[in-house]
Amino acid sequence: MTVNPDGRQRDNFKVQISNIKLGRTEKGSMAKKYLRMTWNERAQHLNLFINFTILVITGFALKYPEAFWVEPITDVPLGMTFRGILHRLSGVAIVFLGGYHVLYLIFTERGRGILKGMIPSLKDALDLWETLKNNFFINRPAKNLKMGRFNFREKFEYVGLIWGTLVMTVTGFILWFKEAWLTIFPMWTYDAARAIHFYEAILATLTIIVWHFYSVIFNPDVYPMNWAWITGEMTEHEMELEHGLELEKLKAEEKKTLVKADEQTGSPGAQIYPMRDAGNRSPVGRIYGTVRDLNKNIKDWKGG
Amino acid sequence: MKQTKAALWGVAAVVLLCTMTDPVWSADNTLCLGCHQDEGLSKQDALGRKVTLYVAETEFKQSVHGRLSCTDCHTRITDDAHAAGGKKAKPGVECAGCHEKAAREYRQGLHARAIVKGTEKAAHCYDCHGKHAIYGEKNAKSTVHPSNLNKTCNRCHSDKDIVKEHALGKGPTPGELFEDSVHAQTGAVTCVSCHGSHVLKSLIDPQSTVFRSNVPHTCGACHPEIMKEFEESIHGVLAARGRSDSPTCTTCHGIHGIKAKIHPDSPVNERRIALTTCPQCHAAEQISKEYGITKGQVKSYYDSFHGLSYRGGDTFSANCASCHGVHDIRPSSDPKSMIHKDNLQRTCGACHPGASVNFSKGKIHTIASIAGEDFGEKVVGWIRTIYLILIVCVIGGMTFFNFTDWLRKTVDRKP
Repeated sequence: MTVNPDGRQRDNFKVQISNIKLGRTEKGSMAKKYLRMTWNERAQHLNLFINFTILVITGFALKYPEAFWVEPITDVPLGMTFRGILHRLSGVAIVFLGGYHVLYLIFTERGRGILKGMIPSLKDALDLWETLKNNFFINRPAKNLKMGRFNFREKFEYVGLIWGTLVMTVTGFILWFKEAWLTIFPMWTYDAARAIHFYEAILATLTIIVWHFYSVIFNPDVYPMNWAWITGEMTEHEMELEHGLELEKLKAEEKKTLVKADEQTGSPGAQIYPMRDAGNRSPVGRIYGTVRDLNKNIKDWKGG
Repeated sequence: MKQTKAALWGVAAVVLLCTMTDPVWSADNTLCLGCHQDEGLSKQDALGRKVTLYVAETEFKQSVHGRLSCTDCHTRITDDAHAAGGKKAKPGVECAGCHEKAAREYRQGLHARAIVKGTEKAAHCYDCHGKHAIYGEKNAKSTVHPSNLNKTCNRCHSDKDIVKEHALGKGPTPGELFEDSVHAQTGAVTCVSCHGSHVLKSLIDPQSTVFRSNVPHTCGACHPEIMKEFEESIHGVLAARGRSDSPTCTTCHGIHGIKAKIHPDSPVNERRIALTTCPQCHAAEQISKEYGITKGQVKSYYDSFHGLSYRGGDTFSANCASCHGVHDIRPSSDPKSMIHKDNLQRTCGACHPGASVNFSKGKIHTIASIAGEDFGEKVVGWIRTIYLILIVCVIGGMTFFNFTDWLRKTVDRKP
């Protein structure tokens, strides 16, 4: 897919039309994809996704025991007891995941790269400023922002995640081991921990729903979903929209390595997929491919 | 030795005399039964209803009065005029002649008073005991045998018309409620166990066994230990002083339909005690004001971990009784109270082994508020305020930012 950096919208439109007409052509299938999340990172994300969801459900089930969606828990004998056990288990799982993630950041090269990419900088503030100007239609036409490996949205969320995990872990363990905690600290600290645990939970849950779900689902650039958490990849187009700077960097590296490497082999950070015969793929794979193509067409649709 | 033998002969003679019943010592009732053995014999009462005059001889002979003559009870038939000419007999029988004590008690009771007031359907002696087929109360055929008594009382007290006429309440009748109760299951407890029999009095009569302040004693007849505990409790003390809003046994346990506490419908079932039973008073506006318990103990419990988990069905979680006790609930100022400062550590320790002294310091039923009295209440009040501002600003800001982002991208997509 070729993209003209200046007149992105119009050119994309033309490219897309040709893509749709050609269907699964050499060009479409061979579109370049960039590795966004390794298997390890996807597993970490999935782990967080599952345990966070369990924590949200089992946590708010305690606070709102009469809510209709809590009935499956309260209707079961000992439901509330299992709820508590499950909540603690998932909490422990997330604490371990956090510990693993710290080790991952320190001891793997990719982890160190992620950590480096996550450091907030002045450019993030400028990106936010320019995005606001775009969004308020002050920049006309909208300025094409080039952001790094992690844009300001992602950095903000990552910092929030670390903060939330720390707060929830500390207050959660106070609530869990109250007898030990209260041998040293007065009763009101326990009440305070309870309040913080609850309000931080609201903040965290709403952040995921409002911020994260917009980023990866409702954002018109990625709708119906950013598939990177499953496939681990982003298309060049997606990279262009959200991580322009990183894309340029990857391409520059690609150029450097291409001088030495065989033209046929893939370059670091990018993979070339051969055209696959639909007949040889599993039914699940075929459905997934169909859904993906459909989603891609919806996503790239520019109106009638 | 000789004396003993003589005594034995004496006893044997008495036994022989007693067992040699009819016909030898039986009064001669043949004259009466000559007519009253006819099953068709009947008369019309004042309201024109047919009243049978048939007397089943065998049944009467087996009854506890079987050896009496008809006129022993029908004392108003003084001569043979009734028998000779079929002259109408004066109605009414005289039980009081023999059953002096019962009659005296009965005359003080509610049924007798109702009759004096002119209530047609109030119970006479024969309404409960039967007429000619009266048996001893230990005889299973007796209408006042424990196994039959519920039925006997409920001939009237579960009769929809009578209940309606005397405003004895809507819905299930006392008898229906009692049938499902734990007392009915024992087989030994009947209506009269609590209400009294002949002396049965009105609910508003201070001498009644079921008068408010007499209820603990009435129940205490069978549950003496619990009565002792209750009488020393704050509830018992206030009830004894005549506080009509202080609970007695029935306030928490129910009245006719009392269930065992493991029964899910029992108000003192562990699943209901903190949802309906204690809050019926402790969350009631009027009582809260009167006794100065306006700090929202029930609300703060419901919002605590104990209360939240309990509301979700957790029976391991503490309910009211776990900390305050059951029958011996005392104010926190009482050194014997479970929630007295000196006992609190032990009370909490029942579920929280190793509960430190900090468990007994500070307020338990706290309501978060910046203006709260307790330091903890203030802290939590501030935490809530700060977090609410934070949540509104952060989430509101995100929502607004995302909305503008979505709007711009949508507008830009318009061809």
